[in-house]
Amino acid sequence: MATQWGIKYAVHIVSSHFGDLAAKICECLLRRGPLSQQNIARFLETPPSQVKTCLLLLIQQNLVQAFTAKDPGGHGDAVKQTTEYIALFDNIIHRTRFPKFIIVVSQELEKGCVELFEGLLQHGRLTLEKLIDRAKSGKHIQENSNIENAVRENLSKLVHAHFVERCPAIEPVLAPPSEDELAAKKRASRSLKIAAGPDIVQRVLEAAAPMESKRFLFMSDENCIDSEKAEASFVDVGEKRKHSLLASDSDLGIKEEVLWRANYEEFLRRFRHKACVENVRERLDDGAAIALSSMLEAGRRLESKLKTETSVSVSINAIYEEAMKAEVGRSMTLDDLRDYLTLLECQKGADESYSIDLKSILELAQNEEVESIVLKKYGKDSYRIFRLLSKEGHLVETDKISDTAFVDKKEAPKILYKLWKDEYVYMQKVTVMGNRQSQFVLWKVNKATLWKNVENDMYHAALNLSLRVAHEMEQGKELLSLPVEKRVGTLGEKVNRLRRIRLVLEESLSKLDDAIMLFHVF
Amino acid sequence: MRSRVVEARSFEGRIAIGGGLEHFSTWGMSKRKRPVSTGPSQDLSEHEKTVYDLIRSKRDMGIRSVDLRRDTKLFPNPNVVDKALKALLAKNLIKQVKTVQYRGSKHYMATEFEPSAEVTGGAWYNEGVLDTAFIDLLKERCLIHISSLKVATVDMISDAIKRSKIFHAECSSQQIGEILRTLVLDNEILEVKSTGLGEFTCIPIGRVCFKLARKPGSAKEPKAYAMASIPCGVCPRIEYCSPDGIIKPSTCEYYNKFLDF
Repeated sequence: MATQWGIKYAVHIVSSHFGDLAAKICECLLRRGPLSQQNIARFLETPPSQVKTCLLLLIQQNLVQAFTAKDPGGHGDAVKQTTEYIALFDNIIHRTRFPKFIIVVSQELEKGCVELFEGLLQHGRLTLEKLIDRAKSGKHIQENSNIENAVRENLSKLVHAHFVERCPAIEPVLAPPSEDELAAKKRASRSLKIAAGPDIVQRVLEAAAPMESKRFLFMSDENCIDSEKAEASFVDVGEKRKHSLLASDSDLGIKEEVLWRANYEEFLRRFRHKACVENVRERLDDGAAIALSSMLEAGRRLESKLKTETSVSVSINAIYEEAMKAEVGRSMTLDDLRDYLTLLECQKGADESYSIDLKSILELAQNEEVESIVLKKYGKDSYRIFRLLSKEGHLVETDKISDTAFVDKKEAPKILYKLWKDEYVYMQKVTVMGNRQSQFVLWKVNKATLWKNVENDMYHAALNLSLRVAHEMEQGKELLSLPVEKRVGTLGEKVNRLRRIRLVLEESLSKLDDAIMLFHVF
Repeated sequence: MRSRVVEARSFEGRIAIGGGLEHFSTWGMSKRKRPVSTGPSQDLSEHEKTVYDLIRSKRDMGIRSVDLRRDTKLFPNPNVVDKALKALLAKNLIKQVKTVQYRGSKHYMATEFEPSAEVTGGAWYNEGVLDTAFIDLLKERCLIHISSLKVATVDMISDAIKRSKIFHAECSSQQIGEILRTLVLDNEILEVKSTGLGEFTCIPIGRVCFKLARKPGSAKEPKAYAMASIPCGVCPRIEYCSPDGIIKPSTCEYYNKFLDF
């Protein structure tokens, strides 16, 4: 579920890229949940035709997903079907990560693939035909057949590397949850004391997602496919058939073809692995980082979902083979590798296969991020107290905190109240009845709540950074429009300063985005 | 007391000869208890006896002057209590002690008792105040020994400190352990378990040991992560900040300083 500042940041991104109406539609959907086109138009007091045009654009850019909601109705009533839309918060935020995605592709594949990939990012989703047309534009007609072959080959490489995937169904049908599912959800939310949050986005995405066997299937001579034939050839017994609407039935009038788009999940998986490796490098050393990196690389293709708690179990030989590919790993012997894997506290299988608890590494990274804020904002004593409570994981009494953290008994309560006021710690007062009544104040770090607050603050900070960059560039517009030969002396210094400001702010935003992924995505 | 500790840090070779003797010789050792007397040998007035009996009944906890006046019911005549206290102090039957909880107010105790840890704050407190200078000195010594040993257990560090003869009084392993735990909280050192391999070769497998958190030669201060590196991440006014508010990113003073190259 998106936080308040997360929504504001997402709206800012959409506004910058697609204008105000698109931003308002996204905001409406993010705040209100699934809505029909008519309801969106009603809430925004905008003509439905304009809303429709905007929705098409947002769907094209993978920021909105349509689905058919089935309303069973009352007794004797026919089943009602309406087309509704949901905004995809994660995909909106991913737009700021496009440069990072492009870097990953450029490190693994050649220039032609990068250009194709940039086209898919720019246009959201394209068919092979459109990709070929795009590549051909501006080129001589004699080169056309070469271009066509090159595009097919490059697309094939991108799909094989899982950087590109088939688009989900345009408008899947979402059946209402069964009574059993509703009851199970109620029991789960009661026992876990959590509000039954909106899982509608997840259900729609699951319903729309192509079958795993089709998702990365690229047939070099395909342009568009007969949807019914394709469904028939790939349906497994017992697997729910995903029903795509034909052109004449579609609310939006979109003809079904094989559409390709960037597969964000693959990039996020790589960033997740990279975050773990860098954390290990910081805490241990380069050797341990190489060992972990090799293990994760060897098992990456076998990961079935993004947020796996434990890495895929991989044999020592596969890890070693991967380590040998990198120049820095070539000096490592098999015994060195075993030592590093032990140092990393990997779980060892019977056949000398290894896996590692990724969740723990990421939790350590999250702790470090938050502790760093506490240190900078409140000072060393607060930092010690926070780390103590974070490690203990349960309620601790004030005097015990003061004794263990070596903070003066008079100062400790002041520090704790300050942290409590800013919602970094949770407080509980306990009264003990004995010969005389004594009151104790207990404290703890409530990670679930705090992590959400930190994530929210991160989105706020990201929005502020974006706004400040825009403001600085606006202020320096005239300077930047000066021809190069006039950028001398004082003016030249001002231009350089402006460039430096932009670099600092954009680097800060990129680093902050890594932290946002740590808390929201990984 | 504190100045003696400062002397000790800057003139380590002279600790055994010069300053700090009184402080270090009493620290960490069980304090000598005077024999409990059965009663005052001098004659006491009625008021003095009332006050003395009440103070003595509080044993090693003592009593604040405010509470004393309330409990002896000699209020509304506080002068009587003050006069009795003055007399008892002169006769050396009671003493004034510094407490960690009520530093501003006077706290009295019968002379035969030593103040409890609850009153003084414990071994790490000196006259009601945390002895941060001494604690910092101990922390520094621990870091030096861990740096030289690379990986060490509590006992190894404790032995190294004893052998160095920097301090007159012995610090128990438990006390060194407390110092090490606070260094872990400072993120100066890491608490790890020995694997018996590599740098842990000399340490039995599974034993808790400590190593430096940062590589030697790296920056003394812990790394500032993403949020801590930008003004918004540590801003005290973030809850009042909004794109179009009075506090906003385009005019933020903290940003102006951040971008003031």
